[in-house]
Amino acid sequence: MNWAAIVGSAVATYLTRSLPFALTMRPRLPAAASRYFEALPVAIIAALVGPAVVAPGGALTHGAEPLAAAAVVAMVVWRRSLLAGVIAGVAAVALLRLV
Amino acid sequence: MERTKDRDAARLAMGEGWPVLGTTIVVGTTFGVVARQAGLEPLEIAAMSLLVFAGAAEFVMVRLFTEGAAAPLVIATVLFFNLRHLLMATSLRPHFMRFTLTRRLAAAFFVTDESFAMATRHFRRGGTSLAYYVTFAVALFVLWNLSTLAGIALGNTIGEPRRFGIDFAITATFIGIVVLAVRRPADVAVAVVAGAIAGALALAGASTIAVITAGALAPALALLARK
Repeated sequence: MNWAAIVGSAVATYLTRSLPFALTMRPRLPAAASRYFEALPVAIIAALVGPAVVAPGGALTHGAEPLAAAAVVAMVVWRRSLLAGVIAGVAAVALLRLV
Repeated sequence: MERTKDRDAARLAMGEGWPVLGTTIVVGTTFGVVARQAGLEPLEIAAMSLLVFAGAAEFVMVRLFTEGAAAPLVIATVLFFNLRHLLMATSLRPHFMRFTLTRRLAAAFFVTDESFAMATRHFRRGGTSLAYYVTFAVALFVLWNLSTLAGIALGNTIGEPRRFGIDFAITATFIGIVVLAVRRPADVAVAVVAGAIAGALALAGASTIAVITAGALAPALALLARK
């Protein structure tokens, strides 16, 4: 029955989103832990990127995505602009996939 | 004063977020089409986007439904797939704790890969207004649901979005956010290692746990680096 699965999945997903916000205790973090948490956001976002670049659609990339990713990095380092990077990346991947 | 700041933050969120929001429309429409073609009822598909609201997990659910998977298996898979939200909410938490529990619990519903990444960028450059997150996250929710409905209505094949590279806009945005967030050499190491671990796990077929594993392991590198 799909409805039980849908409602159950909704509850499970909400729990993963809300638990850290629900806890009100405010632990005093040791220096090592705060350095870990400082690095956490970048690590998560980079971890989202990895599969999309190496295995788009679940299969090994033909090379378009890693090259386009390099183009994004170069463009953002050069222009310091998110939008410039996105335009470069989309254009690069569209062209490279034609090859 | 506070209100002007909120309005500016909201405008900034739309100004910076539109490539991601535009991609969301394409992916959401694709989701509606794919789910409809897989034989799911329109009401079920709409409920998935409305209640679960997790793009990648919703595609996985469609595949599991077509394979006739039992509800507990579907729920467990979705749970593992979305465990990464625990990390994201933990990371966002300090910026939200000055708000009431009710507001925090409402904000939590809208935590997605995209809203987390955009909000992180805003907070990292010193932004304090919650309006940036709320504006972007709610816009994403509305567009995701509207485009799901559009996909259900279309029901049959639309153009393959991959061919035009539109699907890459979200990935490119994330890459840009990481590059702009780098402050020390250690940040580069953490980002590269996180991306590599997650990519390797996805290739090995462990995509449900790729992001949570890589996201939790890679920051340990920051402990090795000298300040």
